[in-house]
Amino acid sequence: MNAGLAVVAKDLRLAWRDRAGWASAGAFATIAVLTYSFAFDLATGDIRPLLPGVLWTTFLFASIFAGGQSFARESEEGTFDALLLAPVPATVIYLGKATANVIAMLVIEFAQLLLATILFDTNLLSPELLVIVFIGTVGAVALTTLLSTMSASMRGRAMLLPVMALPLLIPLLIGAVRATGASLDLESGTAPWTLLLGVFALWSALLSVLLFPMAVER
Amino acid sequence: MIVSTLRAIYGWRWSVLPPVAGVAVMAMVLGALLVAPREVVEGDVQRLLYIHFSSILAAYGAFAIVFLASVVVLWRRDLRWDAVARGAATVGVLFTGLTLATGAIWGKPIWGVYWTWDARLTSTLILFLIYAAYLLARSMADELDEQAARFAAVFAIIGALDIPLIMMSVRWWRTLHPQPIVLRGAERPALPPEMLIVMIVAFIGVGALAVWLGVLRTETEWLAKRTAALRAAADRREGA
Repeated sequence: MNAGLAVVAKDLRLAWRDRAGWASAGAFATIAVLTYSFAFDLATGDIRPLLPGVLWTTFLFASIFAGGQSFARESEEGTFDALLLAPVPATVIYLGKATANVIAMLVIEFAQLLLATILFDTNLLSPELLVIVFIGTVGAVALTTLLSTMSASMRGRAMLLPVMALPLLIPLLIGAVRATGASLDLESGTAPWTLLLGVFALWSALLSVLLFPMAVER
Repeated sequence: MIVSTLRAIYGWRWSVLPPVAGVAVMAMVLGALLVAPREVVEGDVQRLLYIHFSSILAAYGAFAIVFLASVVVLWRRDLRWDAVARGAATVGVLFTGLTLATGAIWGKPIWGVYWTWDARLTSTLILFLIYAAYLLARSMADELDEQAARFAAVFAIIGALDIPLIMMSVRWWRTLHPQPIVLRGAERPALPPEMLIVMIVAFIGVGALAVWLGVLRTETEWLAKRTAALRAAADRREGA
């Protein structure tokens, strides 16, 4: 438990020191939201129906981008090997990393929701929506953290990570977009989208916790 | 007993698989074009059924093998199973691609479009993307990189376990939405005997072809690994 907290603290500290990396993920998300709004503004007068899609594609890309960065540094400096030598179970290391990534992503996402609330004149900070964003972030980051550990040592990692992560994340994307749409009173069908989102988050967290030790074992 | 029988069967791969695959695939093509009757509603394009349906079954079989072989990679750490998984994934991607391509050709005259975001089409496309990503990821690392083999195995396992979620989510996504083109939901009349025979021939032909290609690919993969290992050993000796 303490070891897990230590990893979380270490990663958050790293994230803080490596502000530029996370800030660029945040800047990327901001630019993406703005770009979408410029691009779609001409196509449709009412951008509101597109909002869930805009937000979630941005969140997913930002989490992949940021997740890839958090491990790139570790593998460049060789600190990941040192971390694995520490007398704590690999699961704890994974949970610590994933938690730190979730916290950092939530900060970025909150800023985007705030920005979009102002830009699109739609209240995106309702408790319901915040819960949906939280569940979706846990589901996405659980998987991207695992995948970014795995691809950290591979060539062409920057391209590889989205290609690997996005097809796996499609159920999450569908659930999150529809649940967000429902919470904004947009037409989104009657399926239990939040449940789908929750099931996916649980699935990806459990699977990642189980598989991470096998993936990083030396 | 079982192992030796399996070994004996495996020993026949060169003498049995190529002729069976060749003959049965030719028989399938001739059967589909000449023997099978013309479908009343859809016309000649329906003759794609034989290759379309048997391809997707071969692809599912290949993906099942990728999953099992990946579990063994994690469990036994034997790179031979990595070669098996890679070989099967190549075959699976190939036949999924074939299914998508024949489906698009078939869809155009019948539905009026090559592609529609129907639940089944969408999940097949995602399946294709997942295993294409698997192959891409695996090819980014060296043949002998055991760590990369394990990463790829983890990815393949996640991908396989993701399939039920994908199918469920895509079905909810699509069927709760008005569809631009109504897929013919009515049950297809049971296949007439000629069609059924051609279908069975197609299963044999495409199945044998898939197994043969999988074996070829796996052995190529394994030879590549051995070559890489030998080369590394030679380099080490020169360096010493």
